[in-house]
Amino acid sequence: MNYADAERVQAVMAKLGYTLTQREEEADVIGIIACSVRQKAIDKVYSKIAKWNKWKNKKNLITFVSGCVLPDDRMKFLKLFDLVFDMKELASFPAMLSQYGVTTPVSNSSIVNSEEMSEVARPATVAEKLALAGAKPLSKVAAPPETWDVTPIYNSEFEAFIPIQNGCNKFCTFCAVPYTRGREISRPSEDIIEEVAALIERGYKSITLLGQNVNSYGLDKKGAELSFAALLDKLGEIADNSGHEVWIYFTSPHPKDMTRDVIEAIARRRSLAKQIHLPVQSGDDKVLIRMNRKHSMARYREVVGWIRDLLPGASLFTDIIVGFSGESDEQFQNTRAAIREFEYNMAYIAMYSPRPGAASFAWQDDIPHAVKKERYAVLTGDLEKVALAYTRKMKGETVRMLVRAKDRKDGYLTGHTEGKIIVRFLSEDESLIGQFVDVRIESVRPFSAEGAVVKEVVEA
Amino acid sequence: MQTRSFNLHTIIEKRVLTQAAFILRMERKGIEFVAGQHIQVGPPNGIHTREYSIYSSPEDDYIEILVRQVDDGLVSPALNKLGVGDSVVINDAVGYFTIAEELIKDAKFLFIASGTGISPFHSFVKSYPGLDYKLLHGVRYANETYERDDYEAGRYLACTSQDKEGDFHGRVTDYLSKNPVSPDTLCYLCGNCDMIHDAFDILEAQGLRPENLFTEVYF
Repeated sequence: MNYADAERVQAVMAKLGYTLTQREEEADVIGIIACSVRQKAIDKVYSKIAKWNKWKNKKNLITFVSGCVLPDDRMKFLKLFDLVFDMKELASFPAMLSQYGVTTPVSNSSIVNSEEMSEVARPATVAEKLALAGAKPLSKVAAPPETWDVTPIYNSEFEAFIPIQNGCNKFCTFCAVPYTRGREISRPSEDIIEEVAALIERGYKSITLLGQNVNSYGLDKKGAELSFAALLDKLGEIADNSGHEVWIYFTSPHPKDMTRDVIEAIARRRSLAKQIHLPVQSGDDKVLIRMNRKHSMARYREVVGWIRDLLPGASLFTDIIVGFSGESDEQFQNTRAAIREFEYNMAYIAMYSPRPGAASFAWQDDIPHAVKKERYAVLTGDLEKVALAYTRKMKGETVRMLVRAKDRKDGYLTGHTEGKIIVRFLSEDESLIGQFVDVRIESVRPFSAEGAVVKEVVEA
Repeated sequence: MQTRSFNLHTIIEKRVLTQAAFILRMERKGIEFVAGQHIQVGPPNGIHTREYSIYSSPEDDYIEILVRQVDDGLVSPALNKLGVGDSVVINDAVGYFTIAEELIKDAKFLFIASGTGISPFHSFVKSYPGLDYKLLHGVRYANETYERDDYEAGRYLACTSQDKEGDFHGRVTDYLSKNPVSPDTLCYLCGNCDMIHDAFDILEAQGLRPENLFTEVYF
């Protein structure tokens, strides 16, 4: 989500004449799209701004922070950063910069006439702010404008991340997102369809629909918007009929709002990737209650049952927290059982750490770090076993993969299958990056495989 | 439909129930909700808000919450300082601790609450006349039964753990252990997490299916 947000911030800055630099020392304006899910990420923000503020003694530098920021951190950031804004206020970012007294490359340019300069300096209305940010005209934007009303600069030519939903109504006790991102809100389906269709036409190979609760899409509109299943089906239909090969993913769904018709749509449409990321967080009903997850293991089992029935061979990813407040050994054993039962291909396992702003912050963090570490290791071992059972079946098979990057160190090209299993092969041919290729698998590990290209596919 | 952000709502009534508990009645100002949902509420000039189950019914032209002041809390002490004519910030109602419409007429319900966890049940009872329910309310003392007269005679049962002035002396879990629940009952549990965990175990052992146990943890 933050990646997609950053692409939109980049687009707004490009409109003002700024260019992206990979070296922070060179920047005139530098900012952070923050993430409040873990304290570690917020600690990094404080470390960065301390460094940047020292640089201000030697150079002109404007700093900003946006993204997922808790109220307490926001108050502190106001003293440290020049600009602090919500992503919903992105359309006003140019106005904030100009009111801050910044002459942007555009406003400083000799080719800009005085009338345009005055517009840059004094955008008075929402419509003017939207125009200045490169966003859609007000008539096409639901008020207040959302981040997704800004057309992004895509940093990749073959994979894109498309926000379709923002916010969270679930109030999981370990998470602060409802307090930083606000309530669930869905982007208009016509905008999503337009953006995705354009990307497919441009030859994008991997498109990921994003949202904190992506499959809660449409629920906030109470029947006045497509359901998530209907949206997926529509996008799948467009992709299937486009003549282009594309894999469409979504992340992250919540088990509570997952419906069978979502899985049916994925089964029906070739372009909807057969890979599901379904966070379980714990395999124990009591822990799920304490986490306020709003689903039981029976419900989760039902959803996985649909996936196994309708999408045989699909890969299944999850998120798990070990050592949550009060987690007994018996409850942890239930999470181990869940790993074995659901045969995940990947689990993003995190040791619980209380997050200020989340409800569980007030509870005792009563599982010693050593126990969390041990549970983490045990769970990782369990995961490796079930994941390896899946990748072993790939050995000797030819799989289709999207080449994403070159590993500079050892000469491999890497990418992933439709099921997001990492695959690599030896090749010097960097033109394959961004292409689908068929690879015969020669060796496997729990979460990855290695092989050789058997056929290179050149898109028509 | 447009999702709202936080809006100011004027307090139109404050009912003090105990030294620590009180009810705030605020202007409704178009907030739509289903009984059992919650809102985020906070003082108008603060940066913190907290979730409160709605105590009133969707039929009422106001919105009420039941608050117990937590002395080192970020929100409840500030709310307690407010009075009629002051404002609070509120945003849209959300939540899933609701009763499916098709169950309202025919199902048999057991509501189990601890402390201010009685709020959603008050809303259920006020919203659905004729509901077949029994309400177990776990409190420390009998003066914490809040507005028990709002419930039909014989349906409300106070379990008091610290005095013998309630209908049953002991915790709700003690009551449940001594009074098994029929397996065809739909049980809704709201309040303290430990109470919910213990009651969940007891009800499961008595043959209730987990899918018939609905929970809302207060934190």
